[in-house]
Amino acid sequence: MSDVGVAEERPANPVPDYDPGTFWDEMFIARGRVRPHYFGLAGRLATLSPADVARRQHAAELSFQTRGITFAVNQGPEGVEKIMPFDLIPRVILPSEWDTIARGLEQRVRALNLFLHDIYHTQRILRAGVIPAELVLGARGYRREFRGVDVPLGVYTHVVGSDLVRDASGQFYVLEDNLRTPSGVSYVVENRRVLKRTWPQLFQDYDVRPVEGYPQDLLAVLRAIAPPTAEDPVVVLLTPGSYNSAYFEHAFLAKAMGIEMVQGSDLFVDDAQVYMRTTRGRRRVDVIYRRIDDDFLDPLTFRPDSLLGVPGLVASYRLGRVSLANAIGTGVADDKAVYAYVPDMIRYYLAEDMILPNVPTYVPVRPADRQYVLDHLDELVVKSVNESGGYGMLIGPHAPQADRDLYRERILADPRGFIAQPTLALSRHACWADDHLEPRHIDLRPFLLFGRGISITPGGLTRVALRRGSLVVNSSQGGGAKDTWVLADSVSATPALGASHAV
Amino acid sequence: MLCRVAEDIFWMSRHVERAIAVGRLIDVTLHLELDDREVTEAHGGRWAYLLTPRADERADPLSLAEPGAGAADPRSVRYYLAFDVDNPRSLVSCVQRGRRAARRVRESISSDMWEALNALHLSLVDPAIARSAEDDPHVFYKRIREGAQFVQGLADATLARDEAWHFGRLGTYLERADTVAHMLGLQAHLLLGAGDEDHLVRWLAVLRSCGAAEAYARYYSLRVEPARVIEFLLLNSVFPQAVCFSLRTARSSLLALAADVLDGPTGASRQGVSPAVRGLGLLTAQLENVGVDEVLEGGLQPYLTDVQRQIAGVCDHITRVYLRDEPQPGRLVAVARAAMLMAAQQQQ
Repeated sequence: MSDVGVAEERPANPVPDYDPGTFWDEMFIARGRVRPHYFGLAGRLATLSPADVARRQHAAELSFQTRGITFAVNQGPEGVEKIMPFDLIPRVILPSEWDTIARGLEQRVRALNLFLHDIYHTQRILRAGVIPAELVLGARGYRREFRGVDVPLGVYTHVVGSDLVRDASGQFYVLEDNLRTPSGVSYVVENRRVLKRTWPQLFQDYDVRPVEGYPQDLLAVLRAIAPPTAEDPVVVLLTPGSYNSAYFEHAFLAKAMGIEMVQGSDLFVDDAQVYMRTTRGRRRVDVIYRRIDDDFLDPLTFRPDSLLGVPGLVASYRLGRVSLANAIGTGVADDKAVYAYVPDMIRYYLAEDMILPNVPTYVPVRPADRQYVLDHLDELVVKSVNESGGYGMLIGPHAPQADRDLYRERILADPRGFIAQPTLALSRHACWADDHLEPRHIDLRPFLLFGRGISITPGGLTRVALRRGSLVVNSSQGGGAKDTWVLADSVSATPALGASHAV
Repeated sequence: MLCRVAEDIFWMSRHVERAIAVGRLIDVTLHLELDDREVTEAHGGRWAYLLTPRADERADPLSLAEPGAGAADPRSVRYYLAFDVDNPRSLVSCVQRGRRAARRVRESISSDMWEALNALHLSLVDPAIARSAEDDPHVFYKRIREGAQFVQGLADATLARDEAWHFGRLGTYLERADTVAHMLGLQAHLLLGAGDEDHLVRWLAVLRSCGAAEAYARYYSLRVEPARVIEFLLLNSVFPQAVCFSLRTARSSLLALAADVLDGPTGASRQGVSPAVRGLGLLTAQLENVGVDEVLEGGLQPYLTDVQRQIAGVCDHITRVYLRDEPQPGRLVAVARAAMLMAAQQQQ
C-alpha cells in the first residue's frame, strides 16, 4: 500500500456500529477493529459520505444493466433478465490464504480425475473397497456406457468451480465440487472490470492479481485436448441458447476466446465427424466446450426429447473424432454422497493428506451415519444428492418439526438420496446496505483449469447471501456477488500495519 | 460464419433501419400536422395513410385503418406505430426484435454495438415512455432515431469488413430501399391532384420522412417538384437514402459475400451465380437505367410495387442460399450410421 497517511494512523472505521458477531468476519477482527489487509479499504470508505458510496453502487449496477450482464429468470418474456446483484465492497484474500486454497484445490482435482479415470477403466478403488461400489455405480452421474473410453490427456474435468466456505475459526472447507458445467467465471472478470472503475485509486493502492487471463487459459486447455489429427483445431462453445440463465457467460467466453458460439441446430454429424453449418458450407469441429448437460448432448444416446443436442455427437466423441470439455460422465464425481469419500481418494491415489478439508459429511447408506443423522436432524443440514442451486435442502435448526419429520421418512425410504452435514457458521463480509455496512454470509467459487497442467485464476466468485441472516448464496435465490482480490505478495498485507494494530 | 448468426445480423440491421424509418415518419407527420390549415379533418386522414400496408404484407389488423377512417384518432395511430408491441413493425417492436437478435449474436458483433442497442432498448421499456413521447415528441423521436443511427455508425466503425459487416450492410440497405419505395408509394395518389401548395408541403414531407430534404435542395436548388422528388428518392445513385443507391450498396455487399463463398474452402458446392446476385443485379441495373418520365408514364404505384416485389424476392433468395443451410441430403443416413457404429462398439 502506498498510502502513507493510512499507514501512519489508525484508519477511521466507517462503521463503529458494525457488529462482526460470533462469525468469522473477513474484514473485521472485532467490533471497530479492521483486519490489517483491509486498512486501505476502510480508510477509503472513511473519506466518503454514504451518498458517495451509494452513487458508486448505482453507477456499477447501471453498467451491468447496459452491458447486458444479466441472467434470464425462468425463461420469462422479454425484459425479465436480471443483473446479478453486485456489492461494491471487495473481498481481499491474503497470499498465504490463497496459497493453501490453490494447493488444496489442485490436489483435490488431481485425485478426482484419477478417480474418474479409474472408475471408467479398471475400478481399482472399488475393488479395494475404499468406496462402496454401489454408491459409485448407482450414482445418477455414472455413465456405464463410457467404461473403457479414453479421453485426451486422461483429463475429465477441464473446468472446475468448487465451492469453498469458511467457518467461525477461519478454516476454509470445500463444500462441493462442480465438475460438469460450472458457471460464474464471467462475473469474476466483469466484476473486476466494474470494480476497477468504481475504486480506481484503491485498486492501485492494493497489488491485486489479475483475472482477465482466464479466457485465454481456457482456450489453451481446449486446444490442448483436440484430437491429434486436428492440426489447427476448430474450437466451439455449445450453448443451449439465449434463454439459458448463463447465456451471458457463454457469449462472453466465446467472444473473449474468438471462437464460434453454436447451438445444437448449428451442428450436424456426418460419417462420425462433427460439422457446423456456415455461410461457406460445412466446417469441421474438433473441440466442443459444451455448456449443456450430458443428458441433453445427443438425443440418440441420452434424452431422446432433447432439442438442444446433436444426433450422433456421442458416437463421434467415443471414436475420438471430437473432444468435449468437460468429458461425459464427470457428474459421478461431484455426487454429494461420493463427495464424502474425496479424502479417501486423495489418500488412495496420491498417498497424501488432504490440504483443504471436506465439510464433515454423513452418508445415510452407512448404517451408523444413518442413525446419527436421524438422531440429530435438528442440528444438521440435510441435502438431496440429486438437487443443486440451494433446492431440496433441510436446514435442521431453522426448520419446523413437520419438515424434519418429512425428511426422516424420506431418508429412511431412500438413504442413497441424501447426505447430512453440520450447520456451518459461514463466514461473513461487510456489504453495503443502503447507507451503511452490514455483515452478510459469503462463500467462494474459484475456477480451476486442467489441460496439460493445472492453473487456477486468482480469486473467484465470492457469492453473497444478500438477505440479512440468510445462508443461501445461489443467484437463483437472491444471492449476489463481490469482486475477490487476491493480493500479489505479502508486502500488500502491510506487516508494518499489522504490527502496529495487532491488538 | 454460422448461418444462424448471419441471419440474426441481417435481421438485426433490418430492424434497426426500420426503427429509424418509423420514428422519422411519425416525427415528420407530426410536423406536417402543425402546418395544416384545415385542422379537424385532414389530421385523421394524414395519419390513416401511414397504416397503408406494404406491398408484401396483408392489411394491418387494426380497426382504425378501416375505410372512412378519415376519423382515425391520430393519437391511437401514433401509439400503434410507435409503442404497440402487438404491431411487429412498431418502433418499440423493431428495437426489441433487433436487440433480441443482437443478444443472440453478441459474441459476433462488437460490444459497442450490442451495448448501444441494449441501451436503446432499455430506454424504451419504461411504461411511462409513451406519455413522454406525446409530451415532447420531437425530442423523443430524435433521441430514438439517433440511438438507432448510433448503432449503425458503430457497425461501420467497429466491425472488420468481413461477413458480419457485409450481412449487416445488406440488411440495412435492402430494408432502406424497401422503406423508401413504400414511403413514395404512400404519396403516389398526390400525383393525381392539382399542384397546390398543400401538395408541395406534402412532397416536402416525403423528403423529410426519408431524411432527404436538405440533400434534395442542394442537388436541385429549385422548389419541390413531384417528378424531381421521385427521381431523387428513387433513382439517385449517390445519395444514401435513395432506392437506387441503397440497392447498389446492398449489391456490393452481396457480391463480396458471394465471392467469399466461391473462394471459400468448400466453394465448389455452390458454383455459379446465385439467384440472389442475379436478381439484385437486374433490379439495380433497371433503376440505374430508367428515367423518371418512363416511371411516371407507366404509373408510379405499379412501378414501386414491382420494385418492392423484386426486393422481397432477393431477400428470399438470400435466406435460402446464405442464411439457411438446406437439410443435408445424407444427414439421416449419417445419423443412422453413427447409431450403428455406437451400438457395435457397445457390444465389444
